[in-house]
Amino acid sequence: MVWNPQLINLLINGLWETLYMVGISLVIAAIFGLPIGVLLVITGPEHIHPHRMLHSALSTVVNIGRSLPFIILLVAIVPFTRFVVGTSIGTLGAIVPLTVSAIPFLARLVETNLLEVDGGVIEAAQAIGATTWQIIGKVLIPEAKSGIVLSITNSAVSLISYSAMAGAVGGGGLGDLAIRYGYQRFQPDVMLATVVVLVILVQGVQSLGDWIARRLNHR
Amino acid sequence: MDETIIQLKQVSKTYHTKNETVVALDNVDLEIKKGEIFGIIGLSGAGKSTLIRSINQLEVPQSGSIRVGAIEMTTLTRKELRAARRKIGMIFQHFNLLSSRTVYGNIAFPMEVAGAVPAAIKQRVLELADLVGLSDKLTNYPSQLSGGQKQRVGIARALANRPEILLCDEATSALDPQTTHSILKLLRDVNQHLGLTIILITHEIQVVKEICDSVAIIEDGQIVESGSLVQLFLNPQTDVARNFIRTATNDKIPENLRELIHSRTGAGNLLRIFFHGEAAKEPIITSLVRHFKLDVNILFANLDFIHDTPFGSLIVDLSGAEKEIPAAIGFLEKQGCRIEVLNGVESTTNQSVN
Repeated sequence: MVWNPQLINLLINGLWETLYMVGISLVIAAIFGLPIGVLLVITGPEHIHPHRMLHSALSTVVNIGRSLPFIILLVAIVPFTRFVVGTSIGTLGAIVPLTVSAIPFLARLVETNLLEVDGGVIEAAQAIGATTWQIIGKVLIPEAKSGIVLSITNSAVSLISYSAMAGAVGGGGLGDLAIRYGYQRFQPDVMLATVVVLVILVQGVQSLGDWIARRLNHR
Repeated sequence: MDETIIQLKQVSKTYHTKNETVVALDNVDLEIKKGEIFGIIGLSGAGKSTLIRSINQLEVPQSGSIRVGAIEMTTLTRKELRAARRKIGMIFQHFNLLSSRTVYGNIAFPMEVAGAVPAAIKQRVLELADLVGLSDKLTNYPSQLSGGQKQRVGIARALANRPEILLCDEATSALDPQTTHSILKLLRDVNQHLGLTIILITHEIQVVKEICDSVAIIEDGQIVESGSLVQLFLNPQTDVARNFIRTATNDKIPENLRELIHSRTGAGNLLRIFFHGEAAKEPIITSLVRHFKLDVNILFANLDFIHDTPFGSLIVDLSGAEKEIPAAIGFLEKQGCRIEVLNGVESTTNQSVN
């Protein structure tokens, strides 16, 4: 394998596209996924704001989102993607399905994180006279924040993996690079280099997440 | 001291599970006076936890009235309930501190919730940390504290909004005896210095004996006995009360003595004399010997204190002029003692020897 400038350029370009797709999807997924996770928890039976209808509706929607394989979701929501960003192809066209798949994924993980918060602590907050909002903002999220960081990390890793399929709609990124150059053009050096970059990327994201989670954990 | 601060009337709560119906509270009436330490004791499953949690509506009873001060707790809106809860502190068996906050943050929490300004919060936190003896731990997280220290944070947090009432839900059950003692002492101190009314539930009679002024005994969701602590210890009315007291007082009769008692069939000359308060300070045995032609052999004795009231019992073997025994019993009763005849024809209370 030769470290020619062309390959390096391809890699940098692919890495940038991956980071761009994953970064934007992750931020938007967090904006929607966190509140949905919170709602799933507090509307559950015996929790601080039980609401059976809302709970089962949300749960069903989340399950539907989680049950579609990404490659199917990618093409199934093309009209929606076109409606949101004006195109269903390219990096921008890939961001929408990535986000849509990450929202329910993250919501479920956050739900698990929040359910782990000790019921006694929530009860103490109720006994103190805290409102539902105060319990969410001052008890549930702070108590679960270390776990939430790990869930976001998990989502980021999943998004990196899903972003490889973005090539199907011309989204670019490292996965696309590996398929087009490494596989279809029989360039094993590109394949190998891409895999190495992906491994380092995932490793880095995971380590960063672990480190932040550790810093936040006082249990 | 005589003003009623909490009043429960006909409070009932039933739980329905798939297979059974559990009556947690069965028409409970209770009256708690301002400034007292009121203990509710019962075995697990007796309903004591439901009872204390109904006071601040963490458990909502199906029927009955719960008044705290002038407020009827059962008919409040959510907003009114939150305001009312801010005036009722609560501490828990497992402390329930926020693990994500330092000691400072935990004590500050109720004031933040109530919307106090930071300067006022800071002043109060420092004051409370000093009160509970944790001034040097303000930046520590709960995971770095011992059980006793965690409960001290719990107490400081409960007192933050200057409540008039403190509910203690098995507050010492997770602590070792020494730590329990120090926490109870702290509760006694805040009761006396702040005039705080304290309601505690426990399954440990030692806790009740150590700090309570009044006690209620709960069994199967019903209050079976209630009154002052001294009254309960000296004159328990129910079996469950007697059982609790037995575990708290060291009045178990040694085995060999018990055999002796059971083997006696003669006249009623083996007595158990229960005494308390003033009678404990009088030389009753000496007087007995002086007034009657009887010899007194003390076989067993024990003495205990409830707060400052001494109480105890003696088992004596009377010999000599045995026909004077009934008069001697009358004499002792006049001195304020309670007498059980442990053998002979008059024996009717043998069961309580066991």
